Amino acid sequence: MKPAKFDYVAPTTVDAAVEALRAANGEGKVLAGGQSLLPLLNFRMTRPAVLVDLNGIRELSFIELRGDRVAIGALTRHREIEQSPLIASKLPVMAAAMRHVAHLAIRNRGTIGGSLSHADPAAELPMLSLLYSASLSVQGPSGRRTIAAEDFFVDALTNCLEPEDIVVEIEFPILQQNGWAFEEVARRFGDFALASIAVSVRRGASTIKDARVAVMGVADTPLRLKEVEGQLRGIAIDDQMPDRFSELVTSSVSANGDLHASAEYRQHLLGQLARRAMQTALAAESDRR
Amino acid sequence: MNSETRPHSSDVLRPRNVGAAIKRTEDPRLLTGRGEYSADRKPDRPLHVAFLRSGQPHARIARIDTVAAQVSPGVVAVFTAENLAGDFKPVIPFSRMPNYYATPIVPLATGKVRYVGEAVAAVIATSRYLAEDALELIDVDYEPLGALSRAETAIAGDAALLHEEAGTNVLIAREFKKGDVAADLKAAAVRVSGRFEMTRKAPLAMEPRSYTAEYDKRRDAVTLYTSSNIPGIVRDAICESLDLPGHRLRVVAPDVGGSFGSKGSLYPEELLICIAARKLGRSLKWTADRLEDVSSSSQAFAEIVDAEMGFDANGIATSLQADVIGDVGAYSIYPWTCGLEPVQVVSFLPGPYKIASYRGAVRGVATCKPPTGPYRGVGRPISTFVAERLMDLGAKALGLDPLEIRRRNLIPAEEFPYRIASGIIWDKTGFVECLEAAAEAVGYEQLRAQQADARKHGRLFGIGIASYAELTGIGSRIAVAPGMPINTGSETAKITIDSTGAITAAFGVASHGQGLETTLAQIVADDLGARFEDVRVIQGDSDEVPMSTGTYASRSAVLGGGAAKHASRILQDKIKRVASHLLEANQDDIEVLDGKAVVIGTDRAVTFKQVAKAVYSDMKTLPVEAREELTGTYTYDPINGTTAAATHIAVVEVDPLTCFVQILKYVVAEDCGRIINPMIVDGQVHGGVAQGIGAALFEELVYDDDGQLLSASLVDYVIPSAPEVPAMDVVHIESESAVAGGFRGMGEGGTIGAPAAIANAIADALSPLGIDVSILPMTPERIFKLMEQTRLNARGKADE
Repeated sequence: MKPAKFDYVAPTTVDAAVEALRAANGEGKVLAGGQSLLPLLNFRMTRPAVLVDLNGIRELSFIELRGDRVAIGALTRHREIEQSPLIASKLPVMAAAMRHVAHLAIRNRGTIGGSLSHADPAAELPMLSLLYSASLSVQGPSGRRTIAAEDFFVDALTNCLEPEDIVVEIEFPILQQNGWAFEEVARRFGDFALASIAVSVRRGASTIKDARVAVMGVADTPLRLKEVEGQLRGIAIDDQMPDRFSELVTSSVSANGDLHASAEYRQHLLGQLARRAMQTALAAESDRR
Repeated sequence: MNSETRPHSSDVLRPRNVGAAIKRTEDPRLLTGRGEYSADRKPDRPLHVAFLRSGQPHARIARIDTVAAQVSPGVVAVFTAENLAGDFKPVIPFSRMPNYYATPIVPLATGKVRYVGEAVAAVIATSRYLAEDALELIDVDYEPLGALSRAETAIAGDAALLHEEAGTNVLIAREFKKGDVAADLKAAAVRVSGRFEMTRKAPLAMEPRSYTAEYDKRRDAVTLYTSSNIPGIVRDAICESLDLPGHRLRVVAPDVGGSFGSKGSLYPEELLICIAARKLGRSLKWTADRLEDVSSSSQAFAEIVDAEMGFDANGIATSLQADVIGDVGAYSIYPWTCGLEPVQVVSFLPGPYKIASYRGAVRGVATCKPPTGPYRGVGRPISTFVAERLMDLGAKALGLDPLEIRRRNLIPAEEFPYRIASGIIWDKTGFVECLEAAAEAVGYEQLRAQQADARKHGRLFGIGIASYAELTGIGSRIAVAPGMPINTGSETAKITIDSTGAITAAFGVASHGQGLETTLAQIVADDLGARFEDVRVIQGDSDEVPMSTGTYASRSAVLGGGAAKHASRILQDKIKRVASHLLEANQDDIEVLDGKAVVIGTDRAVTFKQVAKAVYSDMKTLPVEAREELTGTYTYDPINGTTAAATHIAVVEVDPLTCFVQILKYVVAEDCGRIINPMIVDGQVHGGVAQGIGAALFEELVYDDDGQLLSASLVDYVIPSAPEVPAMDVVHIESESAVAGGFRGMGEGGTIGAPAAIANAIADALSPLGIDVSILPMTPERIFKLMEQTRLNARGKADE
């Protein structure tokens, strides 16, 4: 289980990295944390001619507040996001989700840009980028451009980038919310999710004013459930509300099955998680589990 | 207890090392990266081996084109079956069992391939990278012959034959009988039955299989460093196959990173690397990657058992019958045969229970999968699962508590030795004592009250009991695997004091993580009268003792320990004889303690160093006839072996929303006889239970109908990790066995008891829903399906 032969370059600027990818003529691959790429290389499932290592580009690692948004550099490690007080206070759903991202050793190396680019349908950060309507700043040979998260994920393990593009940073709008929840079920703690849901609500005295819902582990990409969000707007908050939400979610998603869980079981889990998530989101802050 | 605080005067009770929780001698090196595994060997300019493995489950090999690979950069040689034909004799896993076909073992697939992952060609190159590059250039034409992916269909008359020479896909068939089962079942007040299954499992040692063959030009000899737990058997088998005397093939098992049985058979790759090293006159290295290890090392379980048990009105089990189909994979293994796992299921099915009549029939069926082989517990995890499920079903039908029905059926103290239907004899062991101790430790009565309360709140809370017995430390009267021609009944210890006074204890047994370096030294220290820290243990090296086999079947503490005791005594007598000259005292007045021979009741003493000097160096002190070499050698054979037993109790809760099982409490009460090192015993129990949890809840090798392995990586093959393994209580019942030292083997028991206990606990938790547990692992998916079925049935009934 050794990778096929490749050339290795370690640029120290984004410009140089993009140039290296361009020179590779579509045969280049970007190395960030390497937590998914290295196994793929070792299995020879991917065989780039050139590996462009981003780890020497210092400017890609940061977390900063920009007005009503939080910007995260693409090379920022999961562990840094997990431990950031800024993330905890401004993006609490992300903060809650980070401890579900694999295991500590993986979080120490894995990066947000790498996770988004890898586009695993059962990974937390791609789903969160949909929930938050994040925008990805991408640099290619013709300069920088912005891609909305909802346009980024094309299929399982497939994003919309060109071969010479590099994700450089991601901006997450801070949500106007007074309730939220993140729920996930995995075979073991740290495994890829069998099903997961993230919910953010802005509630009034007796109704939902606004809501956001994203799910993962059930389809080829993470999903933002905008239809469900529309149905929630103005809905009365009562004891039946979490059950109704669960029904809305399961009727808007048709889960995939695989070796670990059948479609029926994933659908069941999603319904259960949706109910639990809405209960949590509607609970007063002091009652949070 | 360290050596400074250990009591020194001779009037304290001995032994002093055996029974003490001494920290493992091997741990400092293993935990700080200073161990030496097979892959750590650094022979002069080694070449690296990579194997081309079949992607076909069953196909004729029409042609192999290696031309492009041979000229690929760094490549020294490419081997296929064709160009090795004259270099070896096939190894035959012979057995005297009737109705058995021994499939020959060869280094590379010959004529056809029989499972996905079987080695077809080997590339030898200057690096593993270049070797793997060259693999891609080998072109094999396969003519598919149709996958045999399920044992049930491979039995059918029209199924293709995997081994045409066998004339059948049933490689082994066997039946055990005692009494008139049919009549007893007919007369039974209550009959319970089921179709039980344990799916295919990977042993999954942390270190994958790894071999380094070091070629010695001077003598045209090879030293094979192998991650094996049977280095002695490997030496003898390869010598026979390659027609080499044992002094030109040394086989060493250095530090080995776990086996659990997966390194306990001879492998084609071990043959290949020795043949290739001799052909090329070069040293070679190969380490399996994880994919190779999962898809070509021997696997476990894969049995379906139709079983029925009859009880009288008092809840006494009167009769038991079972028909077992074992999916043994593509080949029989050496030396254990493909009968090892499935035949043991019927050998051990009656377990620790007194059951008047029994019939157990087994068929081992060839399929397009890697062979099944020894796996921690061998046959008994599933025989215990089946028997313990039937006990619980019987208890339910009779309205008895599961604890009570076991009390009524376990073989009581006064009936030992007890012979079960398959001929296995249980010597005196604490069956009932283990049951009672486990129930007390877990707080059984209180748990049942807690369960009643939990059920009122709709919680799925269950308690599961499993009792089992196993045969350990087997001597020469019983073959470890039925009908096998090799001797697994004895082991040798050779203990030497050299001219510097240093003590070296050499054994044929090998350690793959058990801590034998520590426990054997504890025994030698006590029986020789040495200090623990002065005893160096050598093991797993075929050059150290004339004959050995290795470590398997929970034998090494009993056989290695027994040999250590006897050899120590022989050497101690020699020390006393020398010391009697040096101290001018009667031999009977001398005791040996802490590395010194002392005249009892005086301060007159000589150290081992002084004794050694007198024997070997100082030619004036002793008369010539008293200069006996300071060596004690003994080959110990426990003849029958000894029983080990335990009761496991698991407490679980099933989450009705996620269908996940949480283990709330886990207790093991075990009888391993006299304990050599309680810390090591606890560690073995913990590790075994963790693997049993894997079998019960997580681990499953999934092959599809085309014979492709779907769970080939550790993303898809799910094992329990630390958060999934609960804290557990271990209670020790130390009833001494009849073998030397009073030891019993105990390395496998954890894996035997845990699947059954957890299965019973889940069944108990789900019993309000009328759900039974008959297949393991009970994954969330399976629990979900069962609960869905119950919901559907309830709806169906409501509609009626």
